[in-house]
Amino acid sequence: MEISSDIAIQFEKVCFSYGKLEIFRELTIRIPRGEICGVLGANGAGKTTAMRLLMGLLKPAKGSITILGNGLQRSNRNRIGYMPQLTALYQELSIEDNVHFFARMYGMSAKHERNIAVDKVISLVDLVNRRGDSVSSLSGGMRQRVSLAVALVHSPDLLVLDEPTVGLDPQLRANFWDHFISLANIGITIFISSHTMDDANHCHRLLFLQEGRIVADGNPDELRSAVGSAGASLEDAFLHFVVKETQ
Amino acid sequence: MSCDRILAISNRVAHQIMKDRRSLALIIVAPIVVMSLVGFSLVDQEAILNRIVPALLGVFVLFFTFLLTGVSFLRERSQGTLERLHVTPVSRVDLLVGYLFGFLIFAMLQSSVILAYTILVLPVSYQGDVWQIFAVLVLLTIVAVSLGILVSTFANNEFQVVQFIPVIIVPQIFLTGVIVPVDSMPWLLEKVSTVLPLRYGVDILVGIMLNGHNILNFGTELVVLAGFGFIFLLCASLTVRR
Repeated sequence: MEISSDIAIQFEKVCFSYGKLEIFRELTIRIPRGEICGVLGANGAGKTTAMRLLMGLLKPAKGSITILGNGLQRSNRNRIGYMPQLTALYQELSIEDNVHFFARMYGMSAKHERNIAVDKVISLVDLVNRRGDSVSSLSGGMRQRVSLAVALVHSPDLLVLDEPTVGLDPQLRANFWDHFISLANIGITIFISSHTMDDANHCHRLLFLQEGRIVADGNPDELRSAVGSAGASLEDAFLHFVVKETQ
Repeated sequence: MSCDRILAISNRVAHQIMKDRRSLALIIVAPIVVMSLVGFSLVDQEAILNRIVPALLGVFVLFFTFLLTGVSFLRERSQGTLERLHVTPVSRVDLLVGYLFGFLIFAMLQSSVILAYTILVLPVSYQGDVWQIFAVLVLLTIVAVSLGILVSTFANNEFQVVQFIPVIIVPQIFLTGVIVPVDSMPWLLEKVSTVLPLRYGVDILVGIMLNGHNILNFGTELVVLAGFGFIFLLCASLTVRR
């Protein structure tokens, strides 16, 4: 198997099942560096499972997964930022303490460097005024923002984001996307799962997932034009491919 | 292994307990209440009291550290932070040692308070070096932290962690010389006690505190207790990713 240095993520014939329930059969995905690739699908389509396989939290029964040219060794992990669907933060600790803690887990032991990085991401997610507040006192949307700050604090080369915009207001969602696009512009790869078409419109490339199979793969314009009707939306495109697959 | 990560984890564990005022109070107040009840109810039976108090010191460290570690680690699993840690470069050793140091601070704080209270308030005859007592308690803390992490693998909620107490802690209280001396128990129960780590901790603590023996006189017990700690830590490291 040849791995190009331009490929950030490669799933090669990955098979995975939860017990007897087959999720993926020979799933193959290649995502070039610097691309924002969105995985869209209904609940239970396999989006989160794909992300968990990528992060090494699940093991494929067959096939291989390569990230940034390597497997997911420990030495490689500080090049990846992961935002899980569950906010996964320490409720008793403050926003600042959570971000500092995970920065140290990513190997940022120098305090000065870490302070700058923590300040930057807290400012990015617009929580400067609440930085000393415990996570348990925050709203769901604010927790999402802290979770994103944790994923970004160590300036990773690859961001894996599992439904990052759930619970965010439109203004903040737009801010998030501005930032994601600016990260992609400097070569950072973003692999994002979502079930909202608003997120899909911002991606360079989309994978429509239906019951563990990729039913469409292309950029938003290509997918919209495949519907065959003028003014078709991405939602129309999604339904078009899903219906086509089930027939 | 990374010292900074270990330090960060132990700081975080300590910080979380400090923020939980009720648990902190429970760690300190509950042993004092039990010690007072035991001490004042056995005020006329000095021989029994002198044997029970060192043993109870070991019981408190084992019980509270086990319970707090089990619940804390279960929370790590259920709120997703453990999974988040697994995608960072943190190693199993960093995680286990970090947890160990975090709880060691509280186990030693608890032991200091109980020891001071026992010596100053209760009518207990006490001998032996304090540092030797603490050395034994450190070993018991290692056993308790490892057991707590192991148990959290098999529990789905805090209630289930509590249900492990009758299985893991209670037999150790009854069979390791805390209530009845081991050599006066039936043969079978005496044999069972040889696979319970608290027995060795109690033997050493009673030996040091009651008889004024040196810790080095308990070479076999120390090795067995350290062996239990090592085996449990090894098992915990194997299950920590689950």
